[in-house]
Amino acid sequence: MDQTPSNLNLIFALKTAVAAPILGAFLIPFAKKISVTARNTLAVALGLVTFIAAAWLLPSAMNGMVTNYSLSFPLGFDFVLSADMLSVFMAVISSFVSSIILIYSVDYISHYENQTEYYTMVVLFLGSMMGLVFSANMLWMYVFWELTAFASWRLVGFFRSDRDVLKANKTFLVTVFGALCMLAGILLVYFDKGSMDMRLLRGENISMLAASLILIGILAKSATLPFSTWLPDAGVAPSTVTALLHAAVLVKIGVYAYARIFGVTFVAAPEFSQAVLWIAGASAIVSAAAALVEKDIKRIIAYSTVSQIAFIFLGLASGSRVAFMGGLLYILMHSIAKGGLFLCAGIIEQKTHNKDITKMGGLFKTMPVTGISFALCSLSVMGIPPFGGFFSKFLVFKGATQNGSLGVVLMFLAGAIMTLLYLTRMFYLVFLGAEKPDSPYEGSTVMVASVFALALIGLSLGALIYYPSYYVDLLINQLGVNLQ
Amino acid sequence: MERGLLAYILIPLLTAIIIPCAARNKPRLADILANVTLLAGLANLAWLLFTPANIANSFADIPGDGFSLLMVFAVYMVALAVVFFSAFFAGPMPNRQAYYCLIMTSVAAMCGVVTTSDFFTLYIYIEVLAVTSFALITTDDTSAGLEGAIKYFLLTFPASVFIIIGLSLLLLSLGSFSFESVKIFLSSGMSGGAVLFAMGLILLGLLIKAGIVPFHTWTPDAYQGSFSPVSAYLAGIVTKVSGVYAIIRISMLMRFYEGRADALANTLMFLGMLSIVVGAVAALRQKELKRMLAFSSISQLGYIVLAAGLGTPLAVIAAIFHLFNHATFKTVLFLNSASLEYAAGTSDMEKLGGMEHAMPWTSWTSVVALLSTAGIPPLSGFWSKLLIIIALWAGGAKVYAMLALLFSIVTLAYFMVMQKKVFFGKKSEAAEAAKEVSAPMLAPVVLLSAVIVAIGLLFPYFYTYLVETIAKRMIL
Repeated sequence: MDQTPSNLNLIFALKTAVAAPILGAFLIPFAKKISVTARNTLAVALGLVTFIAAAWLLPSAMNGMVTNYSLSFPLGFDFVLSADMLSVFMAVISSFVSSIILIYSVDYISHYENQTEYYTMVVLFLGSMMGLVFSANMLWMYVFWELTAFASWRLVGFFRSDRDVLKANKTFLVTVFGALCMLAGILLVYFDKGSMDMRLLRGENISMLAASLILIGILAKSATLPFSTWLPDAGVAPSTVTALLHAAVLVKIGVYAYARIFGVTFVAAPEFSQAVLWIAGASAIVSAAAALVEKDIKRIIAYSTVSQIAFIFLGLASGSRVAFMGGLLYILMHSIAKGGLFLCAGIIEQKTHNKDITKMGGLFKTMPVTGISFALCSLSVMGIPPFGGFFSKFLVFKGATQNGSLGVVLMFLAGAIMTLLYLTRMFYLVFLGAEKPDSPYEGSTVMVASVFALALIGLSLGALIYYPSYYVDLLINQLGVNLQ
Repeated sequence: MERGLLAYILIPLLTAIIIPCAARNKPRLADILANVTLLAGLANLAWLLFTPANIANSFADIPGDGFSLLMVFAVYMVALAVVFFSAFFAGPMPNRQAYYCLIMTSVAAMCGVVTTSDFFTLYIYIEVLAVTSFALITTDDTSAGLEGAIKYFLLTFPASVFIIIGLSLLLLSLGSFSFESVKIFLSSGMSGGAVLFAMGLILLGLLIKAGIVPFHTWTPDAYQGSFSPVSAYLAGIVTKVSGVYAIIRISMLMRFYEGRADALANTLMFLGMLSIVVGAVAALRQKELKRMLAFSSISQLGYIVLAAGLGTPLAVIAAIFHLFNHATFKTVLFLNSASLEYAAGTSDMEKLGGMEHAMPWTSWTSVVALLSTAGIPPLSGFWSKLLIIIALWAGGAKVYAMLALLFSIVTLAYFMVMQKKVFFGKKSEAAEAAKEVSAPMLAPVVLLSAVIVAIGLLFPYFYTYLVETIAKRMIL
């Protein structure tokens, strides 16, 4: 690799994107010693720095340049950071949504205990996410994978009642169990091929056993059937955390790992992809049905996440170019829209002191901006044109019908219709309907502005769909393996 | 006997002699003498190990072999942590002079164990260690302490008998006790049923001393019954040196027998796996913190014995690595249990709860240690466990490898239960009254936690040390 100044800049940006949040997270408790403002500023600044560093890598990645940074470890455990189009894409999305969540947190979290731990863990979480996304060595991917599990353990257990801690432990154990299966799969690949460096393994075949073990890890992390139960339970955490875990970052890790390992690295057997499609289809329907009957606002959105993640799997596993493109766009659209929904739910929960949607109603009059943002984000999740969500869903279906079996597509169609139903039901019960006495007013400006921004971005991504789809198209040209 | 390391045996022994004389009327002097001796030793060792010149020429001029030096380092590190902690532990303190005198004697004995090069001397030092441990367990002169001590004595006494019979057989058939002659004999290709039988008996004795399943019943009682810093000392280093260290040594020798000691090796691996399972499952059900940690210790020793039984170079260095890591994280956990007992008056997990607000440092150092034990990256325990699993797989023990990997989740589960009951969750009555222990009592656990993190992050250096000094020099 040439050592031109621009290249050095890129390596620096790459290192910053990973190191700044991870190391910075441990400075947050010290910033608390100075003042609360210093701590909050530092946390938000770290989020923004990460986002800027990730975005810095975008142009070069689009030109087909892969920025690498590596440290040599014995036994082929080399620590390799590699910024190609896929990792930069994912890094930009998650650092952007995380930054918004951090900004929103400054108001939202200010009423609770353990704030320092909260900020430390959120920033550490973001950092490990960056590390995971940029790691080209599967072992290090696993290392960061577990770090995110650790951070989410602390975040889900933010409130310290026995019930919260129990659910945090459940989250941790389920995801770590999955991760251990994944480690077993990674080691199988290592024994089989003698390397864990995904750049060297491109285009290799992967054995069914190794692929299945890795898949268990991915399904556990992205809360897909049969490991989906931890995600609704993790809703005991503050809304910002659920937004972070369920919308922007944690569950997307599974999807990203799928895209990375089975999309652009290994060639998996066709039966394997078929099995993934059926699991995802079942997951889409079951969780959508759960969302239809659930009353807790955050659990509905969480179940909706489980269901939407299945659509991403449909896109990524169909084996068609169009569907893969749709799946990647889906990651973008869903992060923005679902992040917005969770943050809206946070405002509603904080203001009404209630999570049961049957006890709400008529909030649109008193909280118009939140209501509009909620509606816009819901429309994007449903996949109504001209929102961003429409294009991604459309592409996923288009590709899947070209390639997939009819049964799978019908399952997902049913899932998509149910999405429409449960989101409408929720919006109706919360914002329309009979107004309850003493309806609360809007949340703080920063919080409302954050959700409104996310809603607008969701809308404008639909209008400007040309740019993200151009990027994704390029990405598939550069990196795609075994796509038709 | 490795002469270069002789000083590390003699100086603590000297301190042990000085303490009762010099500190007869000034008990605090005993604290100071013990601490200074160990600190000086540790500083000296750290200098030997970490000078840049030494790292640069791949540890060519360290005295003795890498294994002994590393173990001496571990002994001094854990002993210093315990002694420093004890100096500020204002709990029911037994006779200070006797206590420090015993600790210094056992440090000397442990250094003797790890630096010797023949089985007879090894046995003598192990017996010295057993006597001091017995006396240390009884420093808590409640009935629980005595029960633990008696159980320890009754179970390790037969172990000594097995070892001594093994030694006599070795002398009869080989005419020598030294590791070197056993190694030469085994690699000569002669069939040697008697030598093998002798080794089997010695191993049996060592397994009992290490507390491997099914000989584990004495450990929970001994750890629970004894004075809290003593249980940290016993669990952190003493039982590891008196049992597991020699097991690893013997399995290194067995390699030269080229597959003809398979039955022995397979038994070792089986018992290791059994310990992992039994220890972990039993730990899930414990209500008393120190008992739970004792079972966790059994389970972790299982990993070490499993890898040692396999005996490939990678497996042996993985076992040594895990042994070192175990010394760090188990000491942290036991010292924290001592702090909890000191601050909240109990180590019954049902009565504790919500301690994190009162004792944030204790809580967070426990988190670091338990995650390392459970093998969560990037902490030290992850790397050693990963090496063990890779070695098992590469050595053909694929089922063991997968089981060992999956049992990490049980390890994590019992620690989650522990952390939830003790530190997180609702504030208990005990937590309302408790205060964080003083900074000097925290210093050892904080430093050891830092070691856990540092080894995790500096894994390549540690690995190079193990490969250069152990795998290359002693095994190949």
